[in-house]
Amino acid sequence: METTLPRGTPMLRIRPWLGIAAAASFVVASVMALFWAPTDAVQGDVYRILYVHVPLAWLAYLAFVIVFLASVGWLWTKRPVFDAIAVASAEIGVLFTGLFLVAGSFWAKPTWGVWWTWEPRLVTTAIMFIMYVGYLLLRGLSTDFSRRATRAAVFGIIAVIDVPIVHLSVLWANSLHQLPTVLRAAGAPALDASMLLTLMVSLGAYTLIYAYLMTARVSLELGRQERLWTT
Amino acid sequence: MMELDRIGLVVGRELRAERRQPDGIVAAVTFITVLVLLESLIVGPAVARDADVAPALFWLALAFATILATMRSFDRELEDDALEGLVALPGGRDALFGGKVVALSIVLALVAAVGGILSLVLLDLPLALPFHLVLVVVLGVIALPPVVVVNVVLALRLRARAALVPILALPVLVPQLVAASRGASAAISGDAVGALSWAGLLFAFAVVYSVLGLTIVPAAID
Repeated sequence: METTLPRGTPMLRIRPWLGIAAAASFVVASVMALFWAPTDAVQGDVYRILYVHVPLAWLAYLAFVIVFLASVGWLWTKRPVFDAIAVASAEIGVLFTGLFLVAGSFWAKPTWGVWWTWEPRLVTTAIMFIMYVGYLLLRGLSTDFSRRATRAAVFGIIAVIDVPIVHLSVLWANSLHQLPTVLRAAGAPALDASMLLTLMVSLGAYTLIYAYLMTARVSLELGRQERLWTT
Repeated sequence: MMELDRIGLVVGRELRAERRQPDGIVAAVTFITVLVLLESLIVGPAVARDADVAPALFWLALAFATILATMRSFDRELEDDALEGLVALPGGRDALFGGKVVALSIVLALVAAVGGILSLVLLDLPLALPFHLVLVVVLGVIALPPVVVVNVVLALRLRARAALVPILALPVLVPQLVAASRGASAAISGDAVGALSWAGLLFAFAVVYSVLGLTIVPAAID
């Protein structure tokens, strides 16, 4: 991949290893999800989409929280690397939120009987998706680097308020969506131990994929910024 | 000069400009009137009178009216080249945000009063708890402008900003619109506890976005 980052930059050195770790853990997680984890007593094998759906949801939240932190970093320090992190995380977050919605839709059809229903978690997730598409649109319409980064950072800070709203919407509203099974106020996760382990491995694998994509996209953005300064 | 004095100056200047050139308020009032009239034609009088439907459409209309009035207010600044002078003053950026939010809340209160009275009279809505409804409307018109002003500032001088502002602002306004609609619906149906709970949520969002706006918007004004 073309980049203007100097050889030996930690991000470039770590990237191939991150890629190998992400691919290997993804294979392990997929095998565990498809063959090792037991069949659910109520939903049967359909529930296995959980091992894709939940990691995608986690990554969507993680990506937008990273956008928020990088936005604060840019406004605080004006260091371009924070803007590169913010745009990289926003793009990956939009991708994962889109996939999260699609995976949820595939799960909803056999369990709820519909591809889509006007249910708080679904609607707030779709709104979060549109919000970050708006974030990317705002970036795309701005031409001056510093102004673009500042405007996007302000919106990145405001938009993060939607993340807890999405997660807690199933608790606040009378919802069809199942309540949280891992992060529960009531105590221990409501999952069989082998299912929980498979889910944790899947979460780890998807997080490595996110980290790999981030290093690739951030180095591309830093290269783009460098070309911008030299022209 | 104290911060509040500067905000007061911007509010006075904004309201004088609105009185001399009332195109923003006229557009917002006309918009909400047309929507109230169209509502019963489109969904039918029985559905339009529903305690859940009428407030939902009213607050959606008010959100768009807020966007219209705010964009017109900033357009006036750009047409007169007044923005540069204002932000160059010490504390001018904070005063610009605070002043615009307060002035727009006053303008919006007028728009909401016209739209609300029209809705109540034309749709013949039953009104079980009038004071609760007034409380929800007052807090609603305070909660909408901070978000809209922030987003109009972000889209200032960008091409296609007329399309961009609703895309940016409406998703962020979802909790406020839900709270305002549910609160008004509760007040119409006689649910005092529900109306007060939603009013509390509106107040919380108004405070959060006002503080957030005063903290980060000055950085976004260039």
